Amino acid sequence: MNSYKFDWAVIDKYLPELLKGLWITLEVSLVGMAIALIFGLLLAMGRLSPLRLTRSVANGITQVFRSIPLFVMLFWVYYGLSLKFHVLFTEFQAGALALGITGGAYMAEVFRGGLLAVDPGQREAAMAMGISKSTTFFHVIFPQALRVVVPPSVNVYVGLLKGATIVSVIGVSDMIYVAQYVSLQTFTPFELYSVAGIVFVALTVSISGFAWMLERRLGRGRSE
Amino acid sequence: MSSPVSAPDALAPDFLKLVGVSKTFGNHRVLDKIDLAVSEGEVLVIIGPSGSGKSTLLRCINFIAAPDEGEVIFQGHSWKAMSSKYNFLANRKYEQKLTVLRSEIGMVFQNFNVFPHMTAAQNVMLGLTKVRKQSKDNARKAAVEALSQVGLAEKVDQYPEKLSGGQKQRVAIARALALQPKVMLFDEATSSLDPELVNGILEEIRRLAKAGMTMVVVTHEMNFAFQVAHRIVFMDQGRIVEIGTPDQIRKTTEPRTRSFLSAILN
Repeated sequence: MNSYKFDWAVIDKYLPELLKGLWITLEVSLVGMAIALIFGLLLAMGRLSPLRLTRSVANGITQVFRSIPLFVMLFWVYYGLSLKFHVLFTEFQAGALALGITGGAYMAEVFRGGLLAVDPGQREAAMAMGISKSTTFFHVIFPQALRVVVPPSVNVYVGLLKGATIVSVIGVSDMIYVAQYVSLQTFTPFELYSVAGIVFVALTVSISGFAWMLERRLGRGRSE
Repeated sequence: MSSPVSAPDALAPDFLKLVGVSKTFGNHRVLDKIDLAVSEGEVLVIIGPSGSGKSTLLRCINFIAAPDEGEVIFQGHSWKAMSSKYNFLANRKYEQKLTVLRSEIGMVFQNFNVFPHMTAAQNVMLGLTKVRKQSKDNARKAAVEALSQVGLAEKVDQYPEKLSGGQKQRVAIARALALQPKVMLFDEATSSLDPELVNGILEEIRRLAKAGMTMVVVTHEMNFAFQVAHRIVFMDQGRIVEIGTPDQIRKTTEPRTRSFLSAILN
């Protein structure tokens, strides 16, 4: 390391490119999270189904998709689906989908815990009034589960945000891709990757702060 | 909608009737072939040791706990135990039928079960807008009215966390009454209240009894039971041991009823 000369000027020079990369990282992770929320909720509902078959299938999917490394998932979605089934995805779409599937498997567990945390008496009270199952779910159960679900969901999102850096391997020009690309020309990987790391810390801290605010807002009427 | 009645005894003038209702949890038979009829305007109080199946019986009336066998007959319509949980289409129809039954029967729980993420008014409005299909404005008016009747006019826009146990139970009562049910079920409505709040809730139930509401009440408040009931049902081990007027029950010679009453009254 003694021979390495730090050159922070490179950051100044390539900052716009890095920020553009950051924007793509955010986009791909947010789209991935949106997919994860929907997929995860469906899986969680499947896992809480009164029907054993539905439960087993949802449990199996959760277990398998949670175990597959994101890297492998990304290759399956991007190359596997397109080569084998001729489903063509752009790099961005493949990245978001892979993140969504993996994140969904994690969210399934989060949602399941949240839904189970709601007192069964709540469902009974709604049932006793003749309120339909779906209305009970969306107006009574889900809003209460949401409070429990927010903090662990933020963890899942932070995971996806960091996981999103892996999309650089299929050529999505996210921040890591830009850092890599630039450092090949300038020979300053340390500076570039460090800045990327610091940006991620700043992001994670802001997201946690946002989650804290959200939690407080949802916290009204906390205890019965 | 509800199907026509098939049972021959449906012509009997009973308003609400349980025929051969049984319920099993695991290996434990909680209710064993219960037959019970309630007339319109009657206050029926169910007493018995804990674990005797009182609450389960109450919950079978509106299928919050679906009976395994038997049927509930209400206003000439019959609701039978569900045959299979694997028939999706039949289950959907069955659920819709149950919704009709449930919307006519109000229920108040031991643990209040008010919705903590909704204000008192919103708690009452949910059923009015979703079940009775009222507009938000009308539902709001009806909710304020219902809450005022249980003495909560000042608390309409409070969240439950700001309310005492007694006030939460009043919200739950208002929520049930706003739907104008034809029967009210009370499942140990005072059991989780602080002692000084119990009388207030009992007073509400008494007020309903005077107004002629048909009620099935599970309670441990024996004085109240004997004052307010038209008939008292004594249950033990999933069966009805005895039914009678308060006077009959007080003077009963049935040994199990006697030992229960002497244990609880002394």
